[in-house]
Amino acid sequence: MSGTALAAPALAASDDLRRDRSGGVWRRTWFDRIVGWALPLTVLVAVIPILDLAYWICVRALPSFTLATLTTNPSGAGGGLYAPLVGTLEILLLATTTAVAFGLIGGLVTAEYLDEAGAGVVRVTANVMAGIPSIIVGLFGFLAFVLAFGWGASLAAAGVTLGVFMTPYVFRATDLAYASIPPHIREAALGSGARPIQYLLRVATPIALPQVLSGVFLAMAIGVGETAPLYLTTSAAAIPPSGLFVPAGALSLYIWEDFQNPLPGAVHIAFEAAFLLLVIVVGLNVLVRLIGQRARRRLEGLFQ
Amino acid sequence: MSGAAPVPSGPVVAVEKLSVTARGNRKLLDGIDLDFAPRSLTAIVGPSGCGKTTFVRSLNRMTELTPGLRIDGRVLYLGQNIYGRSVNPVVVRRRMGMVFQRPTVFPMSVFENAAFGLRLVRASEDEVDSAVTEALQRAGLWEEVRANLDGPALALSGGQQQRLCIARALAVRPRVLLLDEPTSALDPAATQRVEATLQRLKEEIVLILVTHNVAQAARVSDRIAFLHSGRLVEVGATGEILERPREPLTMQFITGRV
Repeated sequence: MSGTALAAPALAASDDLRRDRSGGVWRRTWFDRIVGWALPLTVLVAVIPILDLAYWICVRALPSFTLATLTTNPSGAGGGLYAPLVGTLEILLLATTTAVAFGLIGGLVTAEYLDEAGAGVVRVTANVMAGIPSIIVGLFGFLAFVLAFGWGASLAAAGVTLGVFMTPYVFRATDLAYASIPPHIREAALGSGARPIQYLLRVATPIALPQVLSGVFLAMAIGVGETAPLYLTTSAAAIPPSGLFVPAGALSLYIWEDFQNPLPGAVHIAFEAAFLLLVIVVGLNVLVRLIGQRARRRLEGLFQ
Repeated sequence: MSGAAPVPSGPVVAVEKLSVTARGNRKLLDGIDLDFAPRSLTAIVGPSGCGKTTFVRSLNRMTELTPGLRIDGRVLYLGQNIYGRSVNPVVVRRRMGMVFQRPTVFPMSVFENAAFGLRLVRASEDEVDSAVTEALQRAGLWEEVRANLDGPALALSGGQQQRLCIARALAVRPRVLLLDEPTSALDPAATQRVEATLQRLKEEIVLILVTHNVAQAARVSDRIAFLHSGRLVEVGATGEILERPREPLTMQFITGRV
């Protein structure tokens, strides 16, 4: 260091703090303020339509909503929603089982066992799969399960088709959950004499599980409202399915059918079904938040 | 302390002509010969990239977790080559524990962290209880955590976490503990406590400490091995190396010029 660097830096043009506009200070301050206002505004723009929709569904569904809505089967343009509610839950159960079976194993293998190139191929495939329009998944289910497998329009066909639709979501959550575990945790486990499978079961899975579960519930929340994968693979049956290979009604199908039904009263059923779906979706999302919160508390400090 | 089995007479670990080659024929380690006697603390020092981390990782076959490394030469553990055909790396790692730069506690309770290695071999509850207590005592952490063994390990301070990692390695009663810059992420007070732990442990087992910090090597080690560009430049008693190094390169390093 030489002694000549003592002169004031050239930037400080004036020592009057209130008048110093060098370096675009004022422009940046204003830009900050505008963005600070604009961001909450965009959130509002996103939230208002959702609240509006939820409000109107409640307004139109609740006056005619009774316990009988949940316990009686539909009949014509009236009756309750027992059959589609049961159908929806059974289809969802089958779909979740399918999606977890394929998505979980796929995600695990991709994150833990495949090399970079192999994992890349699988991830791109899964992303493409997630981008396929749901009606095309429905068409695939129709061709594969309804016709080729000979299951007919049925609970099985609808459940597995919806499972195919949900698989990439479960895959992505699983892959991300395992791949984001810090590498030093793996080294420490293996360095302690753990076999790779012991690392996976005792260390990695407890860390990844909340994120995987969140992914599964999120996939369920997305899947439960889907109509297109069911439209070609089952029908709006008015009684709960008595087996795997008979049609199962679903709430989303009832919304679709009853909304178009010109008979008076049918539209009420559509709104009641919409209300039930809304409750299920909100419930699943709340579950996801709760899991996330608990996991954050337990894993705090791990991902630094 | 009861944990250690009878002390063998020869070296516990003998490294013979050990070379590690990365892809593209780049030599990370080149013909290292080095013995480790029972009850000793050897500091492995050298500038960044000299191969000291690779060296300790090759002592318990952690190098295998990095794809593309080729190992030549032998590492003898009580006379048996750990790279021998019928030797399982998992078994090697249970005899030669490892502690890393950053504390690597798992998101479990303090007790379960210390018990991790024992659970892997399905030790009985009684064994686990006594071994965990002993390990925490040997790691110098027992007094601080005894009241809160079921609390989350991630809530401990960095220095406590690192001593818990030492306890986790000690719980399976290894003869060798490999420490890869164990204090580089810790503040001076925590560093001092870890060093005190190491000084007690070197009366019991073989410690091999990688450090870039000559002052730390001077404080805790009996012997210093100086690595440079993958070669063992010089090894000798700590006082000798610091006061009368034979090689000019060693002199340059300890005086901060390499």
